[in-house]
Amino acid sequence: MMPPEDKKHCSQTLPPDVLSNLPEYVIDSILMCLPFKDAVRTSVLSNNWRYKWCGLPELTLDEAVWTTKKNLFFHTAEITKIISHILIFHAGAITKFILCVPKSRSCHMIDDLIYFLSKNGIQHFVLELPFRDDPHKLPSSFFKCLQLRHLTLQKCLVIPPPAFKGFDRLIRLELCEVTISSELLGSLISHCLLLEHLVLHIADSYSKVIEINAPRLRSFYFAGSIRSILIKSAPLLEKLLLADNETGYFGAEKWDIVKFFESFSALEHLCVNMLFAAEVGEMPTRLPFDLSCVKQLYITVDLYDSAEVSCALCLIRSFPCIQYMEIQEACCNDSVADHRVELPSDVTFNHLKEVKLIFTSGSIIEMQLAKLLLVKSPALVRMLIESCRAKGTATVKKLVDELTTFQGASPEAEVVFIKR
Amino acid sequence: MAEASSSITEKFFLTLKSSDGDEFVLEESIAIQSITIKNMVEDGCSSSVIPLSKVDTETLIKVIEYMKMHSSTSSNEEEIENFDKKFVSNSINTILNILEAANFLDINNLLELCAEAVANRIKNKTPEAVRKIFNITSDFTPEEEAEIRNETPWAFEGNLDHSLD
Repeated sequence: MMPPEDKKHCSQTLPPDVLSNLPEYVIDSILMCLPFKDAVRTSVLSNNWRYKWCGLPELTLDEAVWTTKKNLFFHTAEITKIISHILIFHAGAITKFILCVPKSRSCHMIDDLIYFLSKNGIQHFVLELPFRDDPHKLPSSFFKCLQLRHLTLQKCLVIPPPAFKGFDRLIRLELCEVTISSELLGSLISHCLLLEHLVLHIADSYSKVIEINAPRLRSFYFAGSIRSILIKSAPLLEKLLLADNETGYFGAEKWDIVKFFESFSALEHLCVNMLFAAEVGEMPTRLPFDLSCVKQLYITVDLYDSAEVSCALCLIRSFPCIQYMEIQEACCNDSVADHRVELPSDVTFNHLKEVKLIFTSGSIIEMQLAKLLLVKSPALVRMLIESCRAKGTATVKKLVDELTTFQGASPEAEVVFIKR
Repeated sequence: MAEASSSITEKFFLTLKSSDGDEFVLEESIAIQSITIKNMVEDGCSSSVIPLSKVDTETLIKVIEYMKMHSSTSSNEEEIENFDKKFVSNSINTILNILEAANFLDINNLLELCAEAVANRIKNKTPEAVRKIFNITSDFTPEEEAEIRNETPWAFEGNLDHSLD
C-alpha cells in the first residue's frame, strides 16, 4: 500500500511513543476501528497501553472473535471466558455493544453481561443468539436498559415484567424471530413512544393479531403473515416494506385490505409482494380512499394469478400520485407463455415518470402490461425493462425492440433494456 | 473556479497561521468544516489571523487539501473516494500528525479517516510488529508480558502478521 520510499521513512523517523501520547479520544477512535481481539492485543504493547481497551465505549463480539484458524467451533467455555474478562476489566460507560453468539449453547454469562450493560448506560444494543436448543430468555435486567435508542434482538425469548413501561428513548427496534406472544409484542412496540424505525421478522405462527400504535413511526419492514399484524395508528409512516415468509396465521378471519391500509395517510414508499393476495377476504376494485402521498411503489406479482393481479390493481388505483413504479414478475413457468389476460382500461398514471419492469420471459402478458403502462402514462420519461432469468433474456430483449417503435401517451418516453 | 463568475453572495476569507509562522488564506465556507474554527468565527474571533499553535506547516497543508476536496461542490463521490485512498497512503508519521490536528481542529471525518488508517496498520499484526511500526518500547519484563498474554490467550491465537507494512 505504501510507496517503498515511505516504508523506510516511517520506521526511521517516527518519534518514540508518538502514538501512545495521542489524546485519549483519538486512541479510542483508533481502537474502535479495530476488531475486538486486535484491540485487546494492544494491552501487551507497553504499560501505557495496558488498560487502554478497557475504557472503550463501543465493543463488538461477533463471529470474528469466536473463530480462530485452529478452531472453527464455538465453545460455551470460550464465550464465558471472554465475557467474564470484559466484566472484570472494563471500566466506564459502554454505549454500544454487539453480541452475536453463533450456534452454541445458552450460558448464564450472557445474563451477567446484560446486567453489566444495564448499569453502564447502554444505548445501542445488538443481541443475536441463534442457539441450537431453547431460545435464551432475557433476564429482568434487560428491561432496565432504559437509555436504549437502538435495539436489535435475534432469537431470544422476551417476557417483559408486568410493570415494564417500554423503552421510552428507543428510536430503532429490530426483532428477528424473537419468541414473544402477540399481545406482549404489540404492547412492547406501542409503549416505545419515540420509535421511528421498526423491523419485524415473525417466526411464530400467531392466532391473535399484533396490534400496533406507533405515533412517530417512519419506516416499517415486516416479514410474516400479513394477517397477523394490524397497524392501528401510524400517522407519520413514510416507508412500508412487506415481505413474505413461511409463517402462517391461525386466526379465522381473512385479511381486510381496506382496514390494513386505512391508517397510512403519510405513506410515500411501498414495497409489497402480492403473494398476500391469497390472504385477502374480499377484494375491492380499489380502496375507498386515496393514498395520495404514495410516490414510489415496488410490487412483486405473478401476472398469471388473477387474485394477485386484482390485488395489485386495487392498490395502484388507490395511489393516484405514483411517480416511480417497479413491477417484478414472479412467475417463472414457461408453459403459460401464450396466456392473455384482460387488463383494465380504467387506470391512468398521470404522474408516473419512470417505471421499471423486471420480466422473466418476454411473454404476451408481459408485453400487454408494458403497452398498457405506455398508453396510460402521459408524463412517462423512461421505461426500463430488465430480464431476471438467463433463459428469458433473448425474448425479453426482443420484446423491448418491439416496444421502441410503439407509440405511447408520452412522446418523450424511451424504452431501455438493461442487462442484469 | 467560481471567482470569475459574478456570484451575488459575498465570500469571506480567513487567514490560518501554522506553528511555523506560515499563513494560509482560506475561504470561510471551507474552513468551518473545522468545528474549532467555526466556533471562533461565530464568537467573532476570526477578524484577524487565526493562530494554530499545535499544527505545523506540513500538516496544515495536508489538512487544507483535505478540506478543499471535501467541501468542493464540483468534486463527485468517486473523486473524493480516490482522494481519501491516496490521502491515507501518506507516511504513518504524517498520518499521526494529521490525526492530532484533526482532533484539535475538530474535523470528525478527517479524524475517522486517519484513525481507520492507523487501525489498518495494527490489524492482524503481532505486538512485536506493532511496536516496530509505531516505535513503541515495551517496558514490561518478560514475566509481566507472559502474564498479560495468559490473561487473554484468545486474543493472541491465529496466524498473526509479522510484517511491517
